[in-house]
Formats: sequence, C-alpha cells, structure tokens
Amino acid sequence: MTKKTVSRIVIAVVLTIMALVTLFPLWFLLINSFKSQAEIVKSPLALPHGLNFSYIANAIEKINLVPSFLLTVLITVVGVVFIILISSSVAWMMVRFKSKVANALLLAFTASMLVPFQAIMYPLINEFDDLGLKNTPGLILMYGGFGLAMSVFLYHGFIKSIPVSLEEAAFMDGANVFQVYWKIVMPLMRPTTATVAILNGMWIWNDYLLPFLVIGNGEHKTLTLSVYFAKIESGAYGNAWDLIFPAVLITIIPIVIIFLFLQKQIIKGMIAGSVKQ
Amino acid sequence: MYKKWFLPFIAPAVILFTLVVGIPFVIGVLYSFSAWRGVYFKGGDNLFEAWVGFDNYAKVFRNPDFLNALGYTVTFTIMAVIAINVFALAQALLVNALGRAVGFFRATFFLPNLLGGLALGYIWLFIYENIFSTTLFGPDGLLPIDLLTNMTQDHNKNLLAMLIMFVWQQAGYMMIIYTTGLANISQDYYEAASIDGANAVQRFFHVTVPMLMPSITIVLFMTLANSFKLLDPNVALTNGEYDTRMLALQILRVPKDTSNNYGVAQAEAVLFFLIVAAISITQVIITKRKEVEA
Repeated sequence: MTKKTVSRIVIAVVLTIMALVTLFPLWFLLINSFKSQAEIVKSPLALPHGLNFSYIANAIEKINLVPSFLLTVLITVVGVVFIILISSSVAWMMVRFKSKVANALLLAFTASMLVPFQAIMYPLINEFDDLGLKNTPGLILMYGGFGLAMSVFLYHGFIKSIPVSLEEAAFMDGANVFQVYWKIVMPLMRPTTATVAILNGMWIWNDYLLPFLVIGNGEHKTLTLSVYFAKIESGAYGNAWDLIFPAVLITIIPIVIIFLFLQKQIIKGMIAGSVKQ
Repeated sequence: MYKKWFLPFIAPAVILFTLVVGIPFVIGVLYSFSAWRGVYFKGGDNLFEAWVGFDNYAKVFRNPDFLNALGYTVTFTIMAVIAINVFALAQALLVNALGRAVGFFRATFFLPNLLGGLALGYIWLFIYENIFSTTLFGPDGLLPIDLLTNMTQDHNKNLLAMLIMFVWQQAGYMMIIYTTGLANISQDYYEAASIDGANAVQRFFHVTVPMLMPSITIVLFMTLANSFKLLDPNVALTNGEYDTRMLALQILRVPKDTSNNYGVAQAEAVLFFLIVAAISITQVIITKRKEVEA
C-alpha cells in the first residue's frame, strides 16, 4: 500500500468515528423511546426489547402531544406563509420603486438584525398583552415581525438580479399588479422562497423562548413547550425520561424526515441565509 | 405602475415591523430608565413620573448575578469560538482530503444544527448524568475522569457540558462554510508551494489559512454571536442552577429574582443589545475593509 492510501484510510476511519459520535445522541434517543423509565435508568445503552410503542403512546396521551403537534404545525406553516407573502411583496416594491422611503426601510430592516430578541421581549409581550394578542394569533404576528428583516434582505438581494422587462411586458399586456406579483415575480423567486421558508420554518418549529413567554404553561402548548414542562414538572420526583424522550423524539422526527428528503436544498438555504446576514 | 402600488405593498410589512420590533425597541430603551414593574410604574402613573435615570443601570452593575452571568458568558463564548472553529475546520479539511462520501459526512455533521437546542439539551443532560458520570467516566467506569462527571451540577464543569453540546450542534454548519471556502482555493497555489519545497504544515499556514480568511471571518463572528446569545442549552442542562446562568437566561430570570422589577430587567436587556450590536458592527466593518483590499 502506498503512503497515500494509508493516510486516506486513516482519514476515513477518523471521519467515521466523528460521524458515529455525531449520530450517537440521536440513536440514543431512539432506543430509549421504546423503554420503560426503569429500563432507561438501569441500562440506558441497551437495545429495547422489541419495538414497544406503548411508552410513546403513553407520553402522547399524558402530555397531550397530538394537540401540541397540530398547534406547532399550524404556527409554523401559517407563520412561514405569512413571512413569505409580506417580505416578498415589500422587497419587490423596494427594488422596483426606488425612493427615499425604500432606502430608509432597507436601512431599518438591516439595523434591526442587530437587535437580539432579549432586548425587546418584555415590552413586546406587554404591548401585545394590551392589544389582546397574547395568544396564538399574536404569536404568529410576532414571528412575522421577527422573521421579516432577514427575509426582506434575502428577497431584496434576489429581485435586484431579475430584469424588470418581464414585468413591464406583462403590464403592457394588461396584467394588474397582483397578477404580475403572483404569476411572474413569485415563480421567479422560488429559490429564495425556499431559503426563506427553511430558515424561518426551522426557527419557528424549534423555538422555545417566544412560546414560553406568550403561552407559558397554558392549555395549548407547542411541542418544545410540552417537552420543557414535562421536564420541569417531573423534576420533583426525578426526571420522567419515559415522557421526555418520546416527546423529544416526536419534536425532532418531522425535521429529520424532511431533512432526509431535502438535504441539499436545506443545506444550501441555511448557508445562503448565513452568508448574506 | 409601481409608484401607485408602492404604499399598499409595503404597508403590511411596515405596520408589522413597527408593531413587533420598532415600538418595543423604543419603549424598551425608555423603560430601562424607569421604575417599570411590568403592569404598572412604581411611584407614578406613567413613564415620566417613574423616571429613575441611570438607577437601574447602577443596580445592574452592582448585581452579582448579572456580573457572574456576564463573566460566564464571555468565558463560554471564548471557549466555544475556538473549539467550534477548530472542529469545523478539521472536519472540512478531512472531508476535503478524503474526497469521497462528502455528501454523507456533510449531511451527518450538519443534522444536529437543525434540531431544537432545548429538546436536544435534555438528551445531553441524560447522557451527562447517566452515562458520562457512570459507565464512561465515573469512578467505576471505563475511564475515570472526574472532570467529565456530574458536569451539570457544577459552575465550572457545566461550561464544558455546554461546550461539548454546542460544538456538536454548530460544528457541522460551520464545516460547510469552510468546505465552500476550501473549494474556492485553486490547486495551483498548492502545486506552486510544493514545487518551492513547502511541506504540508507550511502549505496549510501559508496557503490554506490566508486564502480561507473570508470564511474564517464569517464563521468567527457567527459563532461569536451565537455563543453569546446562547439560551436553550443553558435552560436544558442546568436551568441556571449552580450559578450557571448565561446573559440570555439571566435577563429572563430578573423578574422572578426581583419580584417583577422589569425596569432592571430592561436595563440588562439594553446592555445585552449593545454588546451584541457591537459584535455585529465589528464584523461588518472588518468584512467591508477586506472587500476594499481585495
């Protein structure tokens, strides 16, 4: 064997070990979602005795994971669609009708990306409470407001590269502004829309802090909140891992499945979002 | 045509943005100078009657919890920035050198980044408490290392617990930025360096690192900001027990600590904003300067 082959084998082994270590916590979560509390604590690394779904079913029933799941899907989907519509339309006009207002808006959106959520969360919750919006619709509005800046930024950068002639031709043919936006501009912007959907979708799905402040330990919790309160409330008697693990599993499984199918798109989108920030 | 429809198309965004970001930001700064108690103002009916000047800020800087959280956050951030960069770069170089199964390794290392920090934090909590502290590194474990046991019950060891988890979550993302950067380096440079007699280490420091500077800048500042703002793993692993609050969690706990002194909480929030903004602005300035040079 040449020196080069040996070094490549070493590299392959090192990378494989790293990959196994990376996947271990997820494997660990999976096997322990099929065990009783006693088995989890006694032999955490052992494989479960068969695929017994009763622990997952028990967790689903005990901490109401079905409504939580549906609520999280609802908030994520509506939130993402809301962000896409609002940010694409404002970005489109900001590029097409250059004016002082458009410049000022771009500056305001860009500057707001410097503001961490913690800096404004208390006044925000207070304001929305006064408006009677400390609830699910309010939560979606807040996601819309927070997701706006980066999404506008991404759309704005993309629209600049689309020639205006296509839109002008459509206007000449008698199309109205909504038809041009929906049938010409939006289809052209699909790649950016995918990025915007991925970035905001991941964030909203996983978010803990905003639902914690808005919903708290209310009747209708998001998945992350359900996990959190299952942990906090079981603390007094030792952690209820047989509730926590299935809940965590249900929280992450949809993302893992989507990732398996849309890997390339997701990685590209996440990187596009980061580099343009 | 565009002129006529400009206002209707920007209106929803402007209203939403003002409502969710603009107003709370301005109010937040103002309230940090008042005796705001969340639902009312102490000592007056409105903001101006309850104005206390810099009192809240003075209180913040005398508050051991805040100072502790600030120090803890800075320490963690320094550790995390170094560790994530080293791991991410190592992964990128290794995957690049292997040149095979690139997609598989990229996807695997990237996956933890997509999952929620809170949910993942509980898996790690269990791993630290029930595997690290017993089977692996416990007194009767495979490899007894005291530092790696009961990490989530100790002020200093918890830094390591958060670090391991955070590197696990972030390295894959940063690795992909580095992979992209590496792909942009022309092989000619390496060949030229080899001809001049440079060995692998010299090639790394004199070709790879300088050519990778744009990626290094991006990764450096992204990890800096992400580490500084870290919240979810902090909540999941210790929930701030054993003096392990980072700044984001500290701000969240002020109302509970002080029976709803939201004015003080808001002063901490404004300071937090100033630090985070300073980090980002530094990044922008450095990136701009690099672009001018290039």
